[in-house]
Amino acid sequence: MKVQVLFFGATADATGKREIEIDLAEETKAENVFRRIVRDFPQLETHSLLFAVNLEYASGEEIIRNGDELAVFTHVSGG
Amino acid sequence: MATNSRFLPMSAAVEMHKTEDQKSNTQTRKSKDFYELTIEPLDVGAIARRIVPETCGATVTLDGYVRQFTKTRETLYLEYEGYEPMALKEMEKLIGQARGQFEIASVGIVHRLGKLEIGETSVVISVAAPHRRHAFEACEWLIKELKRTVPIWKKEVYADGEVWVEGESSK
Repeated sequence: MKVQVLFFGATADATGKREIEIDLAEETKAENVFRRIVRDFPQLETHSLLFAVNLEYASGEEIIRNGDELAVFTHVSGG
Repeated sequence: MATNSRFLPMSAAVEMHKTEDQKSNTQTRKSKDFYELTIEPLDVGAIARRIVPETCGATVTLDGYVRQFTKTRETLYLEYEGYEPMALKEMEKLIGQARGQFEIASVGIVHRLGKLEIGETSVVISVAAPHRRHAFEACEWLIKELKRTVPIWKKEVYADGEVWVEGESSK
């Protein structure tokens, strides 16, 4: 199963990507996917990160399913 | 600017808003609430005048704009980027929460994305209420929460470099 991961601002600069696709063997908790992303892009570790699943802030407990949209970004700074 | 093509034009943002609105028709049918993202310059007065309910006596409007000096460092310009569908969703939630907490009639929030020059308006929040005190309180609460929860980021560009501003870790 495949999921899409989006990066914005500082995380897009750090990874050099705006979007990646990840292949998962089976449904799994969001925290496992987020851990894998940070392992694949260790440059993210210097940032304090927030995660979203399907347009909602994620706690990590969410079950990730085929076609889900994930996002990894830093604390917001709009306004 | 090439990167601007990533952002929604105003019409698309408005479309999304309408779709969201239809989903919660019973709650928003009578209000004039709106929340939008745009790359176009913001006309603060025009936005504020979009909410003038007959039952109200005052609208409080925040005009947030680009600061040139942060302490002694000079900013040349800013670039705002948003996770647009999630940002619109969070803006809608904020309006719902504000309605629950304050005696207000209508709320309008418009945030600009893309490149902004010094002094240009980045965000407008207008709150109409029967009595002004509630509008002031709600407007202050809304900007504080927007800066904490709505997924939008600013990059400050200086003469000698640039940095994505990372908000405080309160979310």
